[in-house]
Amino acid sequence: MRLADVPVVGDLLESGAEDRVFDSLLLVGPALILVIAVLGRSAVTIGLAAAYVLFFVAYVLYRGVRH
Amino acid sequence: MNEAARTVGRDLGRIFQALAGLLFVSILVPLVWREYYAIPGLFVSGLLPLLAGYVLTSRFRGAAQPGKLHGMIIAAMGWFCVAIFGSLPFLLIAWTVEFAPPILGDPSQTSTLAAFTNPINALFESMSGFTGTGLTMTDNEEVLPRTLQWWRSFIEWVGGVGVIVLTTAILARPGSGSLTLYESEARSERIHPSIVSTVQTIWWIFILFTFVSILLLWVVGMPIWGAINHGMTGLATGGFSITDNSIATYDSAAIDFALLPIMLLGSIAFPVHYLILQGDLRNLYADLQTRWVFIYMGIGTALLTVLVYIGDTYDSLFTAFRYGSFQFVSAATCAGFQTATDATNVALGRWPVQAQLTVVFGMVVGGAAGSTVGGIKLIRALTLLKGIRFRIADVFYPETAVRRLEINGRRLNEREVRQEFEEAAIIATLWFLFLGLGTFALLLLLPQGEYTLENVIFEVASAQGNVGLSAGITGPESLPTLGKVMFLFNMWIGRLEIIPVLVTLRAIFDRGGLYR
Repeated sequence: MRLADVPVVGDLLESGAEDRVFDSLLLVGPALILVIAVLGRSAVTIGLAAAYVLFFVAYVLYRGVRH
Repeated sequence: MNEAARTVGRDLGRIFQALAGLLFVSILVPLVWREYYAIPGLFVSGLLPLLAGYVLTSRFRGAAQPGKLHGMIIAAMGWFCVAIFGSLPFLLIAWTVEFAPPILGDPSQTSTLAAFTNPINALFESMSGFTGTGLTMTDNEEVLPRTLQWWRSFIEWVGGVGVIVLTTAILARPGSGSLTLYESEARSERIHPSIVSTVQTIWWIFILFTFVSILLLWVVGMPIWGAINHGMTGLATGGFSITDNSIATYDSAAIDFALLPIMLLGSIAFPVHYLILQGDLRNLYADLQTRWVFIYMGIGTALLTVLVYIGDTYDSLFTAFRYGSFQFVSAATCAGFQTATDATNVALGRWPVQAQLTVVFGMVVGGAAGSTVGGIKLIRALTLLKGIRFRIADVFYPETAVRRLEINGRRLNEREVRQEFEEAAIIATLWFLFLGLGTFALLLLLPQGEYTLENVIFEVASAQGNVGLSAGITGPESLPTLGKVMFLFNMWIGRLEIIPVLVTLRAIFDRGGLYR
């Protein structure tokens, strides 16, 4: 079974900016928030969250430069 | 029953079903936070719109597609009914705690929660949430059950994009009917040729940005529950908070500055976000509204910083900039978060009058059309300014001259200019008319001498612009019942850009024989 065949997830993958990286960020987002809620604030969770935000910004800029 | 009523009934039913889904999903929150006493209230709140929706959709299944008139009536009635159903969790949970049935434990009643045993307070909170206004009937948000904290944030988040957009995305129905409804909810621009694809992409962007916002707020130091709620309401430019002093509670420059891009994201039109995510960054300055979001916020911030600095409100220029930038962006994006509160928790309580009126100006104009903000919208303000300049310059040209007005890359001929200018002028005129009426009514209703005129204008502009900053007038005790009813109307017309509500009222009065 492909990821795109999963209900809801499939619709999400079809709807967005037609870019698998953004799709992945969308799918990883809630999982990361859940991890933070469970584990609390630590160097690792701060690192993960900061990496997520920075990667999002950097990837938007990268797409812009490449465009 | 005539065909129009069948069409309206069927589509209202679909909206109610979508709302029921939101209520049932929210049952997860009391389960996680072990607020089991809130579950029956939420369940019943979801069951009622589900049943109403089921009856309406199944009874009028074969109704015709909505036209422009139906679309406006569906939008206006849909938003009002959704506010009514959305008030049920406040009302039922408050009464559950009031009665404290032994089987549901012994939750403690607070004066904040007890305010919601009054249905008008519950309806006010719900309308304020769905319209993304953020004015509140709570004295202290911190003591609300987590379930209601969530419900307030959730309805603002959904309302930011739009109840009808949600319905169209979930209960997708291709065809002209969806487009009519989409346009009736104060939206016009499309991302894809298909309206269903457009609304699905809008939600995709909104959800992704929500995760980014939540994580950004958490990284800069906000606790996770606060980050979830403020990330949702900040992006939706709603402004409900879970703390008593709004964002001022955290007293953190990092959090203040982190919220600026979040609110700005919410004030940029979704089609522009889509193009930027596609890599077309030129839209940040090439798109007229987006360019002016930055210019307008920049000018407003600079002006406000100077006003509060030379007014000796703050000691340092940096502090003046911190509060000035936050409050102008918060007002102009219609988010309504507060950082500049005084001891009485009044927004801008220490600020000079000219600074307060600068903020009012920000609220009136708002951000980009097609985003989550309220107000008149930048495109209309710019159309009015350009149209006035065009009309004045007309005198200097010979009568035979063929002139065109350029707005956002479109070259409009005389007829198109008249059409665009007329639409912008009508909405702006109505906006100021209702602002004036609201101000007059509030001056009559409030105790004489308790509030200044600028306080009253500030509060009405905040309600009608769906902003949520408060000069201290809005509250369960401080605002008279008639004032609450008037603000319900202000918030409702502000969210739908007035015309659909007036069309609906005319249709109701006309049908009831009151209009003729």
